[in-house]
Order: sequence, then C-alpha cells, then structure tokens
Amino acid sequence: MLFSYLLVSGITTGALYALIALGIVIVNKASGVINFAHGELLMVAGFVAWTLHVGLQLPYGVALLGTVAIGFAVGVLTDRIAFRPLANADLVSLVLATVGLSFILKGTARLIWGGKADYLSFPPLTQAEPILLGPLMIIPQQLVVTAGALAVMIAFAAFFRLTTAGKMMQATADNAKAAKLVGIRTDRVYMMAFAVGSLIAAAAAVLMAPLTLLYPDMGFLLFVKGFAAAVVGGLTSLPGAVLGGILVGVVESLAGGYIHSSAMEVAPFLVIMAVLIVRPTGLLDFAKVRRV
Amino acid sequence: MPVFSRRNVLLVLLAGALILPWMGNPYTLFVGTLLFIYVLLAVGLNLLVGYAGQLAFANAAMFGIGAYTTGLLQVRLELPFFAAFPCGAVVATLVGLVISLPALRLSGLYLALTTLAFAQATQWVFLHWENVTFGAGGFKTPLISFAPLPVETPTGLYFLSLLLAVLLTLFAWNVAASRIGRAFVAIRDGEVAAESLGIDLLRYKALAFAMSGFYAGVAGGLYSALLNFVAPEGFDLFQMVLHKAMIVVGGLGSVTGSLLGAGILVFLLEALRAFKGTQEIAFGALLLVFVIFLRGGLVSVLKRNARGWEEPLRLPERRARLLARPGTASVPGE
Repeated sequence: MLFSYLLVSGITTGALYALIALGIVIVNKASGVINFAHGELLMVAGFVAWTLHVGLQLPYGVALLGTVAIGFAVGVLTDRIAFRPLANADLVSLVLATVGLSFILKGTARLIWGGKADYLSFPPLTQAEPILLGPLMIIPQQLVVTAGALAVMIAFAAFFRLTTAGKMMQATADNAKAAKLVGIRTDRVYMMAFAVGSLIAAAAAVLMAPLTLLYPDMGFLLFVKGFAAAVVGGLTSLPGAVLGGILVGVVESLAGGYIHSSAMEVAPFLVIMAVLIVRPTGLLDFAKVRRV
Repeated sequence: MPVFSRRNVLLVLLAGALILPWMGNPYTLFVGTLLFIYVLLAVGLNLLVGYAGQLAFANAAMFGIGAYTTGLLQVRLELPFFAAFPCGAVVATLVGLVISLPALRLSGLYLALTTLAFAQATQWVFLHWENVTFGAGGFKTPLISFAPLPVETPTGLYFLSLLLAVLLTLFAWNVAASRIGRAFVAIRDGEVAAESLGIDLLRYKALAFAMSGFYAGVAGGLYSALLNFVAPEGFDLFQMVLHKAMIVVGGLGSVTGSLLGAGILVFLLEALRAFKGTQEIAFGALLLVFVIFLRGGLVSVLKRNARGWEEPLRLPERRARLLARPGTASVPGE
C-alpha cells in the first residue's frame, strides 16, 4: 500500500520534473547552453498564475493560458537579454549571464509577491475523494496533474515533429551551420527554443501550483531536479528527459517514504553527481544511433 | 613609476586601513573586517575561475565548511579559536581537493552543475545533521580573545583579517606570476594545448581547487568569529552569486580585480542590507551587465587608461633574477 502510494505520487511529481527537464533540454539542444534561470522562470510563472487565479479570480483554464503566454514572453526576453548579446562569448560568460538573470527574477518576485506571506498557497483543482483501484490509491488531483503533463508533452512532440518551426529547431540542433546554409534563421530558432522552453516551464508551474506552496526561493530546487532528470538523458535527448523526470520523481518519493522525509531534498543531487561521475554522457547513450 | 600606479594606490588604501580603527566607529570596523573576508573569498575564487577557468560553484560551500569547522571545533570540542581556525582552513582545502576529482572528468556545464549539486548537498548537511551542526537555527560561537595582546576583540579581528588578506593577496599575485599561474591560464585557454606543453592537468586543477578552498576556509573561520554565529543560510546560493559578482565586476583573471570587486560589492551589500529582493536584483544585474558589456571587469578599464596596473604572468625581472636558482625554469625577459 505504502509502496504503491509512493510510486503513484512519485510518477506525478516525476511528470512535472519531466516538463522542467524538457525545457532545459530544448534550450540546450538548440543553443548549447543551460539556462540557469529556468527554475526562476517556473517560480515567476507560478506567482503569475496565483495572481490571475487567486488574486483576479479568473478561472483556472484562463489562468493557465495567461501564464503560458507570459512564460513565452519571458523566454523571448531571456534570449534577448542573456543569450543573444553573448553569441560569441565563452561558456563562463554565458552561464554567469543566466545566473545573473535568475537572481534578477528572484529579487523581482520577492519584491512583488514576497511581502504577502512567506508561502502562498494555490487552491486544489478538485476536491474529489481518492479512488481505490485494487491495491492502488489514486488521488484525483494527481491524476489531473499527470494528465496535464502528458498533454503538454504530446503537444510539444507534435510541435517538434510536425510543424515547420519544430523541424527548423531539429535541423539547427543537428547542425547549426548547415541549417544556416539552407536559409534557416538560426537566431530566430534560438529565440524560439528559449520561448518554448519557458512556455513549457510555465505550463509545469501552473500544473504544479496546486500541489505545492509558492515562495521566491522555490526555483532553484526545481531547476536542479529538472536538470538531474535532463542529465539522465545526456542533456540532449527528449525521451531521456521524460524518463529521467519520472526516475527522479520516483527515487525522491521512495527515498522520502522509506528513509526520511529530509532525504527527498538530497536525492536529486545524488542522482546528478552519480550520473555525471559514472556516465557523463547520460544513461541513454545507446540511443544516439543515427536513424537513416 | 606613475603616481597612480597600482602599487601606490593600494599602499595608500592600506595606510588608510591601518589607521581606520582609530578613526571610525564599531560599524566601520565591522564593515572593514567584512571587506577583508570578502577580499579573501574573491581572490581565492578568481584563482580558480578567472585564472584556471574552472566554472565551479562550490565557493560558498567551502566558505561554510571553513566557518562550520572553526565554529564547531570551538563549541563541541572546546578548542581555542587559534587552534580551530587553522583546522577550518585545512578541512576546506581538503574538501577542495576532493571536489577537484570530478573536475578531472567533467568540464564546462557538467562541472558547474556537479559543484552546484555539491554546494546544495553541503547545505543539506548543515541543515539536517542536527546532532553536530545544530540544524537550521545555527549556533553561537564563543567570543574570541586576543588575550596577551592589549586589543579588544573587534579591533584584533580587524587586524587579523587585514593581515591575512594582505598576505594572501600578495601570495596570490606571486602565484599568478609564477609557473603555476601560467599553467592555470594555459589550462583555461585550452586543456589539450596545455597538456601538450607538459602541464599536468591533474596536478594543477587539484591545486587550483585546493587553493580556492583554502582561501574560502580562512575567510569562513574569520566570518564565524566576526558574526559570533554560524547558520546555514549564510552560505547559500546568494552568497555564491555575491562571490561570482565580485570577480566579474572586478575582473576575471586578475587579483587586483578581485580587490576592486570585493570593495565595491561589500559597500553595495551594506547599503542594501535591509532589502533582500533589491540586493538580489542589484547583484544579478551587475553580473549580467558586466558579462555583456565589460567582460574584462573594471580592472580592464584601469589597465587600458592608467599606467602601472598591468598584471604580467611573470615576476618583474629584478625579483625574478634574485629568485632564480639553477635547475628551475628560466623567466622570459623582455
């Protein structure tokens, strides 16, 4: 009973981590940079959703759309502020720029929303009773969140495979020079990658908000968990990011249930350190075989 | 030598620092001590990030390890400060050495994230190993005394910090101008090329991590004595960004730049002390603006526009000749 409960809740949070990881991987695939402000994008999106849903009393769906739109805009800004001016810079500068941006976002959120309360809470989506499926106990809230995360993933996969913009992103990730030669405006693709990554983060934040409390320092921890998930796939594999997210979520949930609740916080760090030291190219290395 | 050369300006500042305890009030003394602590942190971090080019994020954790070791040895084992303080520095140095192990396999982003994960794991230990670290609430350290010397604690600590900051800055200048500094820069500019020149990557990377660990450990010990209090939140991400902003604002790859950056940011830190959100925005924005518009930091402006601020990666010829021994590498003269 405990195991199945932990497994289900691990998969739920894991699906959200997978969304965070997807955003990180999309940006890294296109531009070769890790956006250290990714967690702060999530945090800001969470607060925006809170303002729209709790503050302005808009319905949840409208809040979702509004937040996603704002997430998209913040992603475009991230590209303009912290990536495009540094196109020819070294990695140290690129990383420090996004770190700087993350602190600007965090400070801004603290000034706007920090004074209200230490933690803001978001109302639950459904009040329904837990469903018992044989030995499995499923909380409807978790079901809704997991379904939402899955919908975002499917929508993204469709975008990436079926639309021209998605194909341009794929081409640029594969070979930026060749993409430029065939007329793809790669700087637009980078902007698109930041925007889409941030949009997915915003969607994840809105899905996550009812399960957690909102506070200005929440971003970094989420970023690290998303990053741990992304590392499992070697930072470039989208299916790897999804798998990694669920892995991190389940490991975290089991560690919390069987060892100690404080072990939850440290599990993702251990996953990162272990994967990086043992297999720096990711666990799905064999998936790198080129399809002809 | 021009009047406003680096040496003259810094000597005047040093003279000012020496008479400050008789001119200022307890608050300026506190800020002065804090400044020297941050000078140590910035100089050590610059050796690792600016010179050796290792994008590590564990400096705040090392700072914390130095502070916790110094404080806990005093509280738990009742060692005197002057025994606990060197132990703190040694432990931080050793941890630095251990972190350098993954650095040999990883570079760039992966190193950044492993060290970041390490820093977070350190925070977790500070928070949850309550039997030893007193957990989230932190603990008070005993007031240190400079007993045989006729000075009060704040003044004594001020001069101790000043002495260490001066000595370790001079040491860093000399290291940077030595074979070791040149090896660091060679590793930063191209690992393969450095290795083909006969530079032992393992040795020099480990050295860079150990040195920055040592500087942070010393700073941590002094910090615990300055505040009389050690708690996990003093060594978090904010602290890490503060150190990074210092070396970026001052100038990556310049010891002088670390001094400049530490000076400016400590002033800003104190001016904005009441507003955490504003501090975060200010330091984040400084980091971003300098990385985008002035990648060499403030010191690059000085180097371009004033004479006597150069930092060549070799000793001045006169001193080099004095130091040269048969069998050591010759110093290229001009």
